[in-house]
Amino acid sequence: MKKLIIIPAYNEEANIVKTVESIERDAVGFDYIVINDCSTDRTKEICEEHGFHYVDLPINLGIGGAVQTGYKYAWENGYDMAVQVDGDGQHDPEFLELMAEYLEIHQVDMVIGSRFIEKQGFQSSGMRRVGIRFFSGLIRLMTGKTITDPTSGLRMAGRNVIELFSKDYPRDYPEPESVVAILRKGLKVAEVPVIMREREGGVSSISMKKSVYYMVKVTLAILIERIRR
Amino acid sequence: MDIKIQIIVAAGVLLGLAAIINMIRKKSLELQYALAWLFVGGGILVLDCFPQILTWLAHEAGVASPVNMLFFLGFCFSLVIIFTLTVTVSRMSTQIKELTQAQALQKESRERKEDAGMKNNVKNKAKNDADVKNSVQ
Repeated sequence: MKKLIIIPAYNEEANIVKTVESIERDAVGFDYIVINDCSTDRTKEICEEHGFHYVDLPINLGIGGAVQTGYKYAWENGYDMAVQVDGDGQHDPEFLELMAEYLEIHQVDMVIGSRFIEKQGFQSSGMRRVGIRFFSGLIRLMTGKTITDPTSGLRMAGRNVIELFSKDYPRDYPEPESVVAILRKGLKVAEVPVIMREREGGVSSISMKKSVYYMVKVTLAILIERIRR
Repeated sequence: MDIKIQIIVAAGVLLGLAAIINMIRKKSLELQYALAWLFVGGGILVLDCFPQILTWLAHEAGVASPVNMLFFLGFCFSLVIIFTLTVTVSRMSTQIKELTQAQALQKESRERKEDAGMKNNVKNKAKNDADVKNSVQ
């Protein structure tokens, strides 16, 4: 079983070393690849200095395009599983082995790490939880499946999903939309409880100003995904 | 319409068309994208030479003044052209994304192969050196 960790990094000079080192320490049996999304800070230089394994995008593609590069890498290099771990230290590498095992044993196509099954660790802010619950309900309405944490970036993808994502992946705020795409294709998605930390540095990609755009865009994307083919 | 206005408009449109054709000739404009503009220019020229078409159209559509009909048609043309541009931009941004990803992945795989090649060379060289040493002894 070849397993890959995709680390999208845009201006993560404060976190990237810690993230990669904790992966090398805690996620034994996983390869990793840093996707430097044309950072304007020293992310690339730091990767070079530390001898990290990285792909360097010549222009900034945004989170969706960066993560998709990782899935393409996984597909081309014959990985059986791929998981995205954000470069900001929110995701705990300890859960990766657990998720990989779950995916293998239960023969599902994707395993999502959910904050809201056991309700432990950082639970996100109040407003965001409302948004997450809204998407959860919308997805249940559209697909009949319950996903408690559709915005979770911690997702272990099997070979089928890697192929799908490497061909087609949303540009920005990809998580809820791509879960719907997978469910609609009849692939199996499961959730396991995880504990997430509050981010250690840098800023969230979703500011207050962008959250309205986020809600509208993701809602429309889910609705349109429903009427595709 | 006043004949003076008709001549001025015709001259303006012809000048514009000449400029567009010149740009296509110098390859600073792709014929594929200029085609819509050429047709718009041609259309305006026809309406300008035969204003009775516009009067007839306005009458049929129930628009009081032929000039308003002209504004309306112009607006519709502009919308079509702008929308075509949005479609083009959308397609191009996907193409650029695919290109970027392919380039980055190829660069990574090339560098990985070079690294592996370098390590092998070093290993081979060490082996050769050892062989030479052994044969000397």
